[in-house]
Amino acid sequence: MPQLNPAPWFLILVFSWLIFLALMPPKILTHQFPHEPSTLTAHKPKANSWTWAWQ
Amino acid sequence: MTMNLFNQFLSPTFLGLPLIAIALMAPCLLYPSPAPWWQSNRWTTLQNWFIGSFIKQILSPINTKGHSWALLLATLMVFLITLNTLGLLPYTFTPTTQLSLNMAFAVPLWLAIVIMGFRNSPTHALGHLLPEGTPTPLVPILIIIESISLLIRPLALGVRLTANLTAGHLLIQLVSSAAFSLLLSQTTAASLAVSLLLLLTILEIAVAMIQAYVFVLLLSLYLQENV
Repeated sequence: MPQLNPAPWFLILVFSWLIFLALMPPKILTHQFPHEPSTLTAHKPKANSWTWAWQ
Repeated sequence: MTMNLFNQFLSPTFLGLPLIAIALMAPCLLYPSPAPWWQSNRWTTLQNWFIGSFIKQILSPINTKGHSWALLLATLMVFLITLNTLGLLPYTFTPTTQLSLNMAFAVPLWLAIVIMGFRNSPTHALGHLLPEGTPTPLVPILIIIESISLLIRPLALGVRLTANLTAGHLLIQLVSSAAFSLLLSQTTAASLAVSLLLLLTILEIAVAMIQAYVFVLLLSLYLQENV
């Protein structure tokens, strides 16, 4: 089975983690989830909207 | 004959350059980062909806400490689902059929979760090795069994994804080559094979999405136990 050929294993690991850590997260991070806009003026301050945990 | 069938899973190279790198870049190219304006285009809105609802669903059983894993789980989900579904297009290569890639994701993530669990609350983490209410004579055997099941998790994660996708692609290749070879001589049999191929393709689209989801779901379950 060609998947068991150990030759490209390390390269595949490095490449996939490189893309997974360096290229994908910035794209996901830029997605924001603000609250739905409400029509009435709220006197009570709303809870903070959810952000990616450490931002 | 069997070697020929598995050749589709050979990590492709062109003039010595590994083409899997290009296949792995595909998800990055398909998802443009959302612009800062209030109303985005349809594709960005769809992505936003998907990521939002996925994160809401997967983080709901995890306590607040584990919510810092949100980005990693969301990225992994988007990455895997894109790689899986793109691989169903003709002439594309599916990187997730490579055991190396799936193990490369399963082992470090599982290990990170387990080490984190052992560091934060070792007693609680060890307590998972013995289910509550076990009769005393069964305790040693059960601890051994539970330890084995703990250690086999990354292997199961990786192999599950690999095997599901490999089997699907292999079936599609088999049935389509059967349909093609029967096309002129026995057209009825060929039409049956084509209808089977259609159903199989629909199944494979479902499997591609479900397997990506299962991978991330299981990781979140392991996280739940350890955080």
